[in-house]
Amino acid sequence: MTITATKKPVIGFLPAMLPSAKPAFAEFVGIADPKALADVDGVVIAGEVDQHRRLVQTAAEAGVRAILCESPLATTLAGARALVDACERRDVRLALAFPCRYSPAFKRLREQVRAGAVGDVVAIRATSHGPIAEEQKSAGVLLDRAAQLVDLSRWLLGREASEVYAETANRFYDGSGEDSALLSIKFADTFATVDARWSHSKSYPAAGEVTLQVVGTGGVLDLDMFSQGLALSSAKDGRISWPGWGSDIAVGMISDFARLVAGEPAPNLATGEDGLRALEVAFAAHRSAEREEPVSVG
Amino acid sequence: MSERVALIGAGTMGGVHAQAWKALPDVDLVAVLDPRRQAADALGPAYTDWDTMLSQTRPDIVDICVPTPFHREYVERAASAGKAIFVEKPLSRTLADCDAIVETVERAGVPTMAGHVLRYFPEYATAKRLVDEGAVGTPAAVRTSRMAGFPHQGIDDWYADSAKSGGVVLDMILHDFDWLRWTFGPVARVFACGLYGRPRYAGEIDYALVTLRFASGAVGHVTGSWAHPGGFRTTLEIAGDGGMIEHDSARSAPLMASLRATGSAGGGVAVPDSPMAEGEDPYFLEIQAFLNALRAGMPPPVTVHDAREATRIALAALESIETGKVVNLQ
Repeated sequence: MTITATKKPVIGFLPAMLPSAKPAFAEFVGIADPKALADVDGVVIAGEVDQHRRLVQTAAEAGVRAILCESPLATTLAGARALVDACERRDVRLALAFPCRYSPAFKRLREQVRAGAVGDVVAIRATSHGPIAEEQKSAGVLLDRAAQLVDLSRWLLGREASEVYAETANRFYDGSGEDSALLSIKFADTFATVDARWSHSKSYPAAGEVTLQVVGTGGVLDLDMFSQGLALSSAKDGRISWPGWGSDIAVGMISDFARLVAGEPAPNLATGEDGLRALEVAFAAHRSAEREEPVSVG
Repeated sequence: MSERVALIGAGTMGGVHAQAWKALPDVDLVAVLDPRRQAADALGPAYTDWDTMLSQTRPDIVDICVPTPFHREYVERAASAGKAIFVEKPLSRTLADCDAIVETVERAGVPTMAGHVLRYFPEYATAKRLVDEGAVGTPAAVRTSRMAGFPHQGIDDWYADSAKSGGVVLDMILHDFDWLRWTFGPVARVFACGLYGRPRYAGEIDYALVTLRFASGAVGHVTGSWAHPGGFRTTLEIAGDGGMIEHDSARSAPLMASLRATGSAGGGVAVPDSPMAEGEDPYFLEIQAFLNALRAGMPPPVTVHDAREATRIALAALESIETGKVVNLQ
């Protein structure tokens, strides 16, 4: 990648949790005080979901060039729309952290689908199952895992969702919002189901899974995104674990974000609009689950 | 005490059933009724006419293995002749037909079993047993899939006519609907997306994704595919608040054959094989269960009521696909 700026872009992380792998073409700093936002070129915003909106707003007002925000942008659609508009007004590039876009296997699947490998796509069947993430607890699994799968489907198909039907439940964890959500989504002629769940019990060895089955007139592609792991059985604790050896998808995403910060194109990175579209489906799913009937999206 | 069995239909299922009847002691396959004389001949004494078959062979049991649209007709014939009945799945193509079948056999008082054989497949029987034993705690989410290429082996390619076969939803994942209801209880509502009713794909591919909400609150997701070109595969996943069960037929087959075709340098398809001991074949087990119940004067383990309920779920899924609406069953 070429850096046109004379110095490396400085990317701040708020809260101050730096990723383990750091690409060499950017400088990473942890941000404890929002005042420090004035000193960085780009910022990655994570942490408690109900703080996202405030932090993105603050970063935009501090004049950063680009913001990478973890899903969801905000806990309301209006809040998310307000952020997208605010960033646009201030010429701040807003990106959504949907790291699954950076799975090399997903990229390969997308290339193959777009090259016609499965013919005309008729359906997508997606799952995202894993242990609960504490900071996502308040948001519910719809805004966390389901939104990511909706984004992958939209990006794969190049289409918008028109309608969604959802069944949600709280069956695995106490005190959270819904911890399982099964969405049926219409994308014009294509349909998709998205199964998002915080359900892996403490005894389950793997960190979770993301799968996609793409069905077309010419065949099927089956993706198991995090299957690249070794089965390790330990006499020490009598358990099997799955140390992964696949590529770190967060690194791929951060690298692309660094390009965005440097003013380079980063077309694979999900934009604020992409985040908004995924949230629209998530909120429509919530309405559908309450009404027990399909609802229109958008 | 040797029961006499008349097999109706000498197609794929007829062949499978014939093998089971022949493997059971003290039961005789005395007739095979099918307009295709050669196919019937290969299985047993061949007949083409019902009345002739009935009067000449005087069966005790009638085993109905004809295509779905003919189930009702043969149940009615067999019931009016006072015969015990084994009828293949789906029970019938419409709910009205199913209701008629249930009424007919109840009125005639003839023991009738439906061929929901998945209950006898060891992985499914074991999974149900584990759930019943509390292995996953309270079940919350269950996913099943049943995937194959498009079936063109039926007589007159009848599977391709979804008006007759009900497509992959009624013909294939009906197995899952019955097993799910057996394991997790009644289904409250159904929502489905699929290719049923879309002429563009007729006879080429069929695919459906069905969402079930059980009365218990658990949620089910069923995949039915006649769009997978590479062989048959099934998967099962049950998640509860106390654990998880997973099964994938592609990963559990003990034997995998990748054989070079004679006279060619290229490879064939890798063919998985999951053999069980003799006497543990699911089709043998279901027919044996029917025979044992009959002899003991007990109700059969899979009733026409069960079959009607499973069919109702499948038909609700088809309705949902067509209308885009949720179908409530309760």
